[in-house]
Amino acid sequence: MKDILTIVLRLTITCIMAATVMGSAFIITNKAKKHNEHVNEQKVRYSLLGYSTAKPIPGNMALHEVYRYIVTDKESQSIGYLLPGKEGFFFLTLDMEGKVIDNKPVPIEESAVLEKDLRDKAVQEIAGTGKGVTFADQTIVVTDNGKRVAYLLDGKFTGFKTFIGVMLAVDPKFTIVGLEILEHEEDPGLGAEIERDYFRNQFKGKTFEMLKDLDVVKEPLPDEYYQALEGNVEAADAAKILAKYGDRDIYALTGATISSRYVNTGVKGIIKKFAYRLNILDAALAERKIEVAF
Amino acid sequence: MANDKTSMQLIARGILSENPIFKLALSMCPAVGISTTVINGLMLGVAVLFVQVFSSVTISLFKNRIHPRIRIPTYTLTIATWVTVIDLALAAYLPDAYAKMGIFVKLIVAFAIITMRLEMFACKESPNDSFWDGLGMGLGFLVGMVVIGFVRELLGSGAILGYDVLGFKPLLFFILPCAGFFVVGLMMAFFNWIELAYKQAKGKKQ
Repeated sequence: MKDILTIVLRLTITCIMAATVMGSAFIITNKAKKHNEHVNEQKVRYSLLGYSTAKPIPGNMALHEVYRYIVTDKESQSIGYLLPGKEGFFFLTLDMEGKVIDNKPVPIEESAVLEKDLRDKAVQEIAGTGKGVTFADQTIVVTDNGKRVAYLLDGKFTGFKTFIGVMLAVDPKFTIVGLEILEHEEDPGLGAEIERDYFRNQFKGKTFEMLKDLDVVKEPLPDEYYQALEGNVEAADAAKILAKYGDRDIYALTGATISSRYVNTGVKGIIKKFAYRLNILDAALAERKIEVAF
Repeated sequence: MANDKTSMQLIARGILSENPIFKLALSMCPAVGISTTVINGLMLGVAVLFVQVFSSVTISLFKNRIHPRIRIPTYTLTIATWVTVIDLALAAYLPDAYAKMGIFVKLIVAFAIITMRLEMFACKESPNDSFWDGLGMGLGFLVGMVVIGFVRELLGSGAILGYDVLGFKPLLFFILPCAGFFVVGLMMAFFNWIELAYKQAKGKKQ
């Protein structure tokens, strides 16, 4: 009995010591890690827009984050937008018809707005107690010299297995500039091919008009198209080939038609909803003559 | 049991006479799974080196306080702690290296070679000697991984350090994990043969 107690005691002390060391390491490194994640996120965003080390980012390009919240008040529901203004942030609530209900400044630092917890807390305070505030999604408006050049949309939709998380880049006319698959759990070798260039890049250049009836076809992907999508051919030739196949539907992945279809439907849905919401938001901003950063 | 070897002898022992891969044949599964290229081998080797040195010194410092019945859990906890600390530090301060090494670092908790070194050496010897022993074993593992990686990369993908040197792929089979065992086996035979030949030559002189 005494042995057992000593062993338990010693093991507990060992565990506590190990936990202290690991905990302090976590606290010390956490800030740098967060910073790295942020830098990495930024890199994904710029690469979606077509910028890399070979093609540097223009100096006057800026990203403005727009957060959409759903505000519930007993029975009524409204949509809230956390927007960056010329000076500081403000929270704009619209009712379901798109009429402005309220517009209040939000006292939050630019660095704090990136942290979900701090942001949610600030929004809750502004909306007032007793109201339910749920974060819906975030959109990034990309501006160059104050002119909107693109939008980055975060989205999640069902796949064949679980959810597929994507990030889309679209230009102001809602033509797709890039598609990145951020997370998925599709089958390796089949549905997991959705993250390959030859599938993702098929969405590039599809206009808003084309998206309306964009479909998935079960046909073999032509070889020259495949090579161009994968980036295996010279830039000039690739542009020619991509233009030739530009108005085609999406070629389904071999053995993963359902995954391909889900991605197609999901991407279409994200862009359609975004275009609808953005029109309402822009109309509301214009009506109230509210100045925003983008 | 006092240690009568100098620091240099301890390092040499880790690399040559008690090389973890070629002589002790420990930690084969992860080693064989990852050593497909020189760079991969080097990354895992460096990660093991750090964890081995830190764990050896820690256990050696606390050797009189560890209850003999729970020494194995204590070793595992120590290794896990250092692996976590190194993992966090890499992720925070060397994100580019972490992107390549991250997956290897987490694997190290399951390495038999580290536990074995703690049990055989660090729990009996002084922290100073344990440091050199850990360094020697880590270096021995690193050298072994790089050599295997070199052979497999050259034969499997016709390249060295990612640069195409042969222009063709002689035996794609060498990239697969099972081929790692063939390489290790052949290397072991080769090292034993050299040792035998060396001893015979030495014997003749005397």
